[in-house]
Amino acid sequence: MSLGQSLIRLGTEAKVRGETRYGFDMPQAGDLHLACVRAEQAPAKIVSINPAQALAIPGVVRVFTAADVPGEHRLGIIAVSRDQEFIAPGLVRQPGQCVALVAAETPEAARAGARAVVVVLEQQPGVWSYDEAMAPDAPLVQPDNPGGNLLRENKIRRGDADAALKDSAVVVEATYTTGRIAHCALELEGGRAWLEGGRVMVTACTQNPHYDQADLARFLGVGEDRVRVIQAETGGGFGGKLDLSVQPFLALAAWHLKRPVCLRYTREESFLATAKRHDLRMHFISGADEQGNITALRARIDGDTGAFASYGLAVNMRAAVHATGPYRTPHVDVVARMAYSNNTFNGAMRGFGCPQVALAHEAQMNALAAALGMDPFDLRKQNALRHGDHTATGQLLGAGVGLSACLERIEPIYRKWQSERRHADEYREGVGVGVMFYGIGNTGASNPSTAQLEWRPDGRVTLFTGAADIGQGSDTALMQIAASRLGLPMERIDLCRGDTDRTTNAGATSASRQTYISGNAVMGAAANLEMQLVQGAREMLNQRHLEVELKDGMLVAADGRAVEPAEVARHLAKAGGRARGEGRFDPNFTALDPETGQGRPYATYAYAAQCARVRVDTASAMVKVTDVAAAHDVGRAVNPRSVQGQICGGVVMGVGMALMEHYQQGRTDNLQAYHIPTAADAPDITPLIVEEPEPSGPYGAKGVGEPALIPTAPAIAGAVSQALGRPMRHLPISLERVMEALTAAEGETTRED
Amino acid sequence: MPLEFTLNGQKVSLEDVPGEATLLEVLRQRLGMLGAKEGCGVGECGACTVLLDGKAVNGCLTAAWQAAGRQIATVEGLAQGDELHPMQRGFVETGAVQCGFCTPGMILTSLDLVEQEPVPGDQQIRRALAGNLCRCTGYHDVVRAVRRGAKYMRGEGEEQ
Repeated sequence: MSLGQSLIRLGTEAKVRGETRYGFDMPQAGDLHLACVRAEQAPAKIVSINPAQALAIPGVVRVFTAADVPGEHRLGIIAVSRDQEFIAPGLVRQPGQCVALVAAETPEAARAGARAVVVVLEQQPGVWSYDEAMAPDAPLVQPDNPGGNLLRENKIRRGDADAALKDSAVVVEATYTTGRIAHCALELEGGRAWLEGGRVMVTACTQNPHYDQADLARFLGVGEDRVRVIQAETGGGFGGKLDLSVQPFLALAAWHLKRPVCLRYTREESFLATAKRHDLRMHFISGADEQGNITALRARIDGDTGAFASYGLAVNMRAAVHATGPYRTPHVDVVARMAYSNNTFNGAMRGFGCPQVALAHEAQMNALAAALGMDPFDLRKQNALRHGDHTATGQLLGAGVGLSACLERIEPIYRKWQSERRHADEYREGVGVGVMFYGIGNTGASNPSTAQLEWRPDGRVTLFTGAADIGQGSDTALMQIAASRLGLPMERIDLCRGDTDRTTNAGATSASRQTYISGNAVMGAAANLEMQLVQGAREMLNQRHLEVELKDGMLVAADGRAVEPAEVARHLAKAGGRARGEGRFDPNFTALDPETGQGRPYATYAYAAQCARVRVDTASAMVKVTDVAAAHDVGRAVNPRSVQGQICGGVVMGVGMALMEHYQQGRTDNLQAYHIPTAADAPDITPLIVEEPEPSGPYGAKGVGEPALIPTAPAIAGAVSQALGRPMRHLPISLERVMEALTAAEGETTRED
Repeated sequence: MPLEFTLNGQKVSLEDVPGEATLLEVLRQRLGMLGAKEGCGVGECGACTVLLDGKAVNGCLTAAWQAAGRQIATVEGLAQGDELHPMQRGFVETGAVQCGFCTPGMILTSLDLVEQEPVPGDQQIRRALAGNLCRCTGYHDVVRAVRRGAKYMRGEGEEQ
């Protein structure tokens, strides 16, 4: 039984040997190299593009413009908001948008060619924030959008929030903001494309090969059968490799030139041309009764999705659905609005809006506790969602709610750290707590996964999955699930992953969904395979009604006879058949009511509680996060070490979100100016696994990828607020913001003196 | 210009290396050593780390000519056939590898550290690795990996 064991992940040895080939590493001798010509001004009309000087450079083969796109210009993963033009046709909507593509014999010639293309632009008026976008008579970013610059409004309405707030014993109100954040996967986007038998082959880093195939076919104006996408080994994604990046350029150039082509983004290009985390502004009013029971939440959430919708719809809806946090809130009135602007586009990043709203709901809990004179940890325990509660969308929570267990695991650590807290002249210490819930899978929408398991005549088994492993460990988790279900050691199973010719759609590696949804698809494939093997064994034993079961990799009949599954596979092969089980799983959901947001958006939720301890240096205003303890209810840990690895990685990404990271286009376009946490910035982390089994999960498993990040920044913000004696409501909590708070605190002390 | 150096113990001789070429470009494009990665091109991320006479350097900031006559070690040269280098074993066994893109650089920086400090403490490891960015692991298991690898390099057994 490999399930629940901390097996070493598949591919680890190749990675430590430096033998793993990422999309980035694909170029081969004889390939053409591509380079994008990117507009510096936006929004702007393209007056002319003159490639003559570029074409005069030795080695430059071709310059493509939007006129060379044979199919649809506008791509995007959410079908109702497909609006991203990979080569701008006429209008540049955001800075850095590609306007032409150069193909050349060497990377140097391609880059020189890109610099030599003469692009004449005519600047247009633009909008650069939510408020500008929503002002009357604002210039339109996407004139075809029926809502003007408003991409979407999502409402969650339950009970009567206004009346409940009026009747509440305490009401707290504040506005919170978060910064734009860059994914900064260490691997830069890269890949290669070529033609084979009249089809275009694309291998590149991606979180969703089957989506890529569909959109590339649309871009080329061909059927999907003419495009094959093979996921290259992918060096981290965090949501940034869900949208297409290099793939359309690769496919277009290979299609026209009929030669292998390769393209790799520079870090600057990766910053400029791929999605960021949405910056949100969140106005929250929360109430509680005298006993500390939460009564109501009224929240207004404004977001700027930039020039392209990307995952803006998903972020907006998720932010609304999760705005209450994991607390019983009988009366809810949430309105989330997402607007277009001419900023570089925002999209999916680890948590889809939940890390942002968690800052607000957790700070509101601290404020309520202060107003009530209650302990903030006790207030959370008292209001934490439990079995039998309803969420803000009216979903009844049955089994699988492990939040109280997470809080129990964290509490002794939290109490100890609070008791050890010291202030001195040189430093102040603080301890904060962050709590979250997170719906697994897409919100109120079908998002199935499929998988196949084949028992081969040679005795080995192959697992076929379209699920992209991007470093998070889904390959190993799915193999462990398959091995356990079939009663085999994992070594007996081969993996075929992420190739659109050989695997079927598993949906995106996003929304912490692959362990739960693709894991269930694998379970289904195993059950289907078992049924076929049992049937085959009955045929071979000439007894149609014999009871046969698959046990420890053998087919054992009730009369004591045993058949090897490989024999059955050989038996089926003689008749031209195969022992190949098909699995499909789509979580149980209902769509949300458009007016009230009521419904069952997810089949299950993950829960977590983290606490953070910080020390603020009063002279330098430096904040050091010294420790984080993180308890996560994952349902069942398929591979505990992988789960711990996800938790620790999420926590450190949360440290960056809390204290350091703030993307400003044109100013922070490489890692010199955009700082992510180093080993020296990372706190000591205590990852704690809580297993509250989810009955609908594979062996009870849910997911952990995004939950790992979500509570960290709120916990740190709470800790810094405690250290400084004033609420820190804006991320990142930069040196300047700490300095300001320290100075203000000092002023108050002086006045009191 | 011509360029000669020792790569993972083997002499290499190259012709026509442009004066402005970086060591990383020469390793990747001319010698097919793809274990060293470019993550930023400006010396911030450490994914291109290689050893120059045993010292960890950023391949993207090192001019190719600086390697002339010297010893270059890349991740490809560490394992002896099937047998991993003790530091590689440390990384495998502790689960310190997720996407793996930063791993070669992390391992080479760790070797430089252990050369100077055979029994590195956690804070020394964190400081030494501060120039090698990782977005996946939170560095938690990487610190354990380096401790374990250092222990194996000292000829001691499994870390408890």
